[in-house]
Amino acid sequence: MRQYELMIILDPEVDERTVAPSLDKFLSVITTGGGTVDKVDIWGKRRLAFEIAKRTEGIYAVVDLTATPELAKELDRQLGLNESVLRTKLIRPDAHRQPKRRAAAKAS
Amino acid sequence: MARNTRKPVIKKVKPVKRPVLENGINYKDTATLRKFISDRGKIRARRVTGVNVQEQRLIARAVKNAREMALLPYSGSGR
Repeated sequence: MRQYELMIILDPEVDERTVAPSLDKFLSVITTGGGTVDKVDIWGKRRLAFEIAKRTEGIYAVVDLTATPELAKELDRQLGLNESVLRTKLIRPDAHRQPKRRAAAKAS
Repeated sequence: MARNTRKPVIKKVKPVKRPVLENGINYKDTATLRKFISDRGKIRARRVTGVNVQEQRLIARAVKNAREMALLPYSGSGR
């Protein structure tokens, strides 16, 4: 089991009230497969830095989850198939460690 | 007998203040990342920002991740 962080950009056209239920539907893949959804953070509508599929805005959501690599991949695949999902990013936050501040203090 | 009369060129090193990155670097934190990109959206060089190699790598990765998610512009976009 691994920790993942998933960021999703949804089509701004969808009603913001339906975002949470539809996310839950997507995330049921994780819970039924034995993983856990630790945190769902819906940022809401946000301006995109550039157009994606002719949209200038997007509904952002960040989900923290614990799952096997296969489950996480499957979730990402299913999100990609859905048309209301503009973009996704699946990241393992502990994959790249931040350097210790001790070393930096010595350099300065 | 051409003597080398030229003075040795002393490279002036501008002391750059090291930015303090207390909370680490995260691709979602665009306010911090914006300090490390130029007006045109390019990633600033290490000699400009004064971060160390390890931090520069993290910054570069974070900026690129943020760009993919349309949190930061790609360089050149805008005009």
